[in-house]
Amino acid sequence: MKIITLLKRVPDTEARILINQEGTGIREDGLKYVINPYDEYAIEEGLKVREKVGGDSKVTVVTMGPEEATELIRTALAMGADDAVHIVDPLLENAGPFTSAAVLAKVIEEEGFDIIFCGKQAIDDDMAQVQTILAEMLDIPQVNVATEFELSDDGKKAVLSRRIEGGDEKYETALPAIISCEKGLNEPRYASLPGIMKAKKKEIRKKTLADLGFETKPQGGRAEIVRWLPLPKSGECKIVEAEELQDAVKELVRLLREESKVL
Amino acid sequence: MSIEGTAILVIFVAVLTAFTLIVRHLYRVMMKGKPEDRFSRWPDRVKSVLVFVFGQARVLAQPAGIGHFIIFWGFIFITLGTLENILSMIIPAFSYSRFIGADAAGIIVLLQDVFGILVIGDIIVSLVRRFFFKPLRLESDDPKTTEEAVFILALIFVLILLMYGMRGTGILLEPNRYSRLYAPFSFYASNIISHWNINMHLANRIFTWCHHLIIFFFLLYIPFSKHIHILGAIPNVFFRNLGPMGTLSRMDFEDEDAEKFGVSKLTDFTWKQILDLYACTECGRCQAACPAYLTEKPLSPYRMIHHLRGELMSERKMILADGETPDIVPDTVTEDEIWSCTTCGACMQECPPFIEHVQKIVDMRRYLVLTESRFPQEMQPVFRNMEVNYNPWAFGYASRADWLDGLDVPLASDKKRFDVLYWVGCVGSFDSRGQKIARAMIELLKKSGVDFAVLGVEERCCGETARRMGNEYLAQMLIEGNIDTLKKYQFNRILTTCPHGLNTFKVEYPQFGYEKPVVHHTQFLLELVREGRLKVKGELGHDWTYHDSCYLGRYNSIMDEPREVLALVHGRDGKEFERNRKRSFCCGAGGGRMWMEENTGTKISEARLREFVEIGSDHLYTACPFCMTMFEDAAKVMDREDIEVEDIAEALVKVT
Repeated sequence: MKIITLLKRVPDTEARILINQEGTGIREDGLKYVINPYDEYAIEEGLKVREKVGGDSKVTVVTMGPEEATELIRTALAMGADDAVHIVDPLLENAGPFTSAAVLAKVIEEEGFDIIFCGKQAIDDDMAQVQTILAEMLDIPQVNVATEFELSDDGKKAVLSRRIEGGDEKYETALPAIISCEKGLNEPRYASLPGIMKAKKKEIRKKTLADLGFETKPQGGRAEIVRWLPLPKSGECKIVEAEELQDAVKELVRLLREESKVL
Repeated sequence: MSIEGTAILVIFVAVLTAFTLIVRHLYRVMMKGKPEDRFSRWPDRVKSVLVFVFGQARVLAQPAGIGHFIIFWGFIFITLGTLENILSMIIPAFSYSRFIGADAAGIIVLLQDVFGILVIGDIIVSLVRRFFFKPLRLESDDPKTTEEAVFILALIFVLILLMYGMRGTGILLEPNRYSRLYAPFSFYASNIISHWNINMHLANRIFTWCHHLIIFFFLLYIPFSKHIHILGAIPNVFFRNLGPMGTLSRMDFEDEDAEKFGVSKLTDFTWKQILDLYACTECGRCQAACPAYLTEKPLSPYRMIHHLRGELMSERKMILADGETPDIVPDTVTEDEIWSCTTCGACMQECPPFIEHVQKIVDMRRYLVLTESRFPQEMQPVFRNMEVNYNPWAFGYASRADWLDGLDVPLASDKKRFDVLYWVGCVGSFDSRGQKIARAMIELLKKSGVDFAVLGVEERCCGETARRMGNEYLAQMLIEGNIDTLKKYQFNRILTTCPHGLNTFKVEYPQFGYEKPVVHHTQFLLELVREGRLKVKGELGHDWTYHDSCYLGRYNSIMDEPREVLALVHGRDGKEFERNRKRSFCCGAGGGRMWMEENTGTKISEARLREFVEIGSDHLYTACPFCMTMFEDAAKVMDREDIEVEDIAEALVKVT
C-alpha cells in the first residue's frame, strides 16, 4: 500500500507573529518553525496504516516549502516515514491553495497512491483548502476533519468518523481517498533515537517546478492575498474609582453612555 | 598426619577450591557488564574501605547498625579462631601464640569469647526486631528474604553455641588450654558441660566437626544468598563513586548505526552496576528513606536491587554463555517503578555499601525514552516544548525575557564582560511565582552593586530535567546550545536560584567541556551580607523552618548558608524538620516528576507539608523553585493556603 502524508512547515504555535512592514507576509527573523500540528496526526495515521497492512507498504512524506523544511521532514522520517519528496522552488514562496494543490497533485500522481493523509488545516494561514482542491484534481473522495479511521481488512475501503456538534458522523469511503486529520485521531509518536539516526540516511527527493514539468507557477485560484494587516490594538482598560460605590456606578454609566456610546 | 588431620585437610582444600571457583564464576559474570572507569584515587579508595567497611560508618548511622557491627567483628574474630583450629588439626603444633606471643593470642581468644556472647544477644534482639517490631526497612514482597534471614541467624546461633561447646569441652580435657582471664565465658560453658554425663573427648570432636562443617557449608552458601554482600560489599565500597553524588554518565551518540540506547538487559549495565547487585545487604535503609516508597508508589529501591539480583542469579549461566537473556525492563523492573523515582538520592545517601540506584533508574529511563519512545504521555509535550522553545511549558522562546520589562536588567549581549551571570532558569523566567523570586534576586543584586547580567532570550533550559527523564539526546542538545552561548561572554561565576541548574552546571556541564564556578543564591547572598555589600536592617522575628532541597543539600552539601541567611532575617534559629539536611525528604518534583502526574498513593509534597504543619512554625522557606511550586500546590489541595512558602531571597529582600 502506498501511503502519502502531506507535511507543511509552519511557525511554532507559541511563536509571536508579527506582520512585516510591507504587509506582504510575516517577519521571519527569530521565528521557530514546527511541523503543522494537524499534519502530525496525518503522519501518525499513515504509520499506523502501514503497520496494520504490513508487506511492502510505504509511507511517503510530501512537502512543499523552503529549504529549511528539510529539518522537519527528517523529524517525520524519524517518526518512521520511509521517504520523502520535497518541492523547493523560489517561485512557490507564499503560494496560494490552488497553486499548492496543483503542485502536490503532480507529485502525488508521479509517486502513486492508495491513500492520502493530511492535516485538516495548516495553522499558519488556516485556509483549509488544499485537501479539497487536491481531491478535485485527483478526482478522489475526501473526508475532512476525521477523528477516527479504520481500514477494512481487504484495504479497499475505510470507515471514518467526524466529530460534529452533538455527535459523530460515520463515513465509509472507497480508496484511494484523501483524509484530513483532526486532533483526537491518534497520539503522534515521539521519534526514538534509532529512528532519528536512521532518518539521517533516508531519501528526500528534492524537486523544483521544472523537475515536475511546470514551466511557470501553476495559476488558477480566483482569490489572492492582497495585503497582511496587524490586529488593531485593543483599547486600554479604565478602572472607575470613587469613595462610594454609588458614585462609581454613576460614573461608569456616564462613561458608557458618553464615551463609549454603548448605552 | 592423623586420619582426622587428613580428612579436614582434604575437605578444607576441596571447600576452598569450590569457593574460589564460585567467586571466579561471579567475577566472570560481573565482567560481562560494560566497562566503567573506577580506578583513580587509590588512597581514597583504601580509606573508604577502612572507614565504611571496617569502621562500619554508614551501618552505624542507625541504632540497628550496632547489631551488624557486632556480627561483622564477631565474624572476623571467630573466623580467626576457626582457622587456627583447622590448621592445628592439620599441623598439630600450630597456634597463633607461636607467632604473636601468648598475650596477643590471648587477646584474640578474649575477643572471640566476648563477641560470641554479644553475637548471641544480637541474634535474639534481631529476631525480636524482625518479628515483633516489623520495621519498615524490612518490608519485602519476597517471603524468601525472611526465611533466608532467619536461616542464617539460626546458623550463626548454632555456630556460636558449638564454639562454646568446643572450648568448654576443650578446657575440661586440657585445663591449661586457655587462661581463665582470656576465656571467661568458655570457662562458664565448661562448668555447665562438666555436669553432663558424656564422653568429653567424643563430644569435643563432635562439636568441633559440626562447627567446621557448618562453616564450610556457610562458605559455599554465602554466594547464593543475601550474604553474598560479604563478598560484594568490600569491593563495592572500594570502587564507590568518589565524585559528586548522582552524576549521570555521558552517553555517546557518535555511532549512527546503533539500534539501542540505555539499559534493557543485565549486561547493558556496567561491571560496577552488577557489583552493586552483589553488594546489597537487603538492610532496606533505602526503602525506609525513599519518598516514592513512603507514599505508596510502586518503587522501592531495595526491591529493585533485590529483583535485579534475583534475575542476575537465575540468568548468570546464560550471561556467561553470551546467550539471549530476558529484558529486565519491564519484566524485572516495571515502568511504573522506573517513573516513580524523583532521583532525590535518599537511597544512595543511606546505603551502607554505596549502591548507586539513581544511575540505574536513569539508564533504564534512557532505554525507554531513547530506544522505545515509551514514557508517560504527559512527558511528550514537555520534551517537545524543550526542543522547540527551550522550556518545559508551552511558552514561546522569544517571551523568555518578558518578565524583565521595566526592570532595567543588563543583558549579557549588551555587556559582554561582567562579574556574575545570573542564570534565571525556566521557572524564574516563565512561572509567575518563580518570577517573584527572580525579581527579589534582581533587587538584591542591584542593592549590593553586583556587576551582573542575564542572558535573556539567549538562555535555554539547562537540560537537567530532560537528562533525568532519560532524554539524554535532548539534554545534550540543550547543554551544547547553552555552552555555545556561555562561551560568547566573559564572566567569573554563574549564579543560580535553582539547585537543579546549580548541580547541572557544576557537575554535568564539565562532561561537555565547560567549567565555570557556580554559586547558589543562598551562598551568594550570605557572601554579600558578610562582605557588607548588603546591609540587614532589622529582623522579622518569626519562627521559621527551612526545607532542604535534595539537589542543594544532599547533592551539593549546601545546608548551612540558607540557614544562616534566615537566622539573620529573623534574628533566631529555625525550627527544624525531623528529616533535615542530608536526610531531607524530597518535595516530589525531582527527576522530571514535576511534569508527571502523581496519581498513586499520597502526594509526596503533601506528606512533606504535613510534616511542616506538625512543627508548628510560622514560615516555610525553600531555596528551590521546584520545591516552592510543589508546596504551594500542596497547600492549595490541603486547603491550607494560609501556609506561606517563600524563597530565601524574598525573605532577605524584606530586611535589606
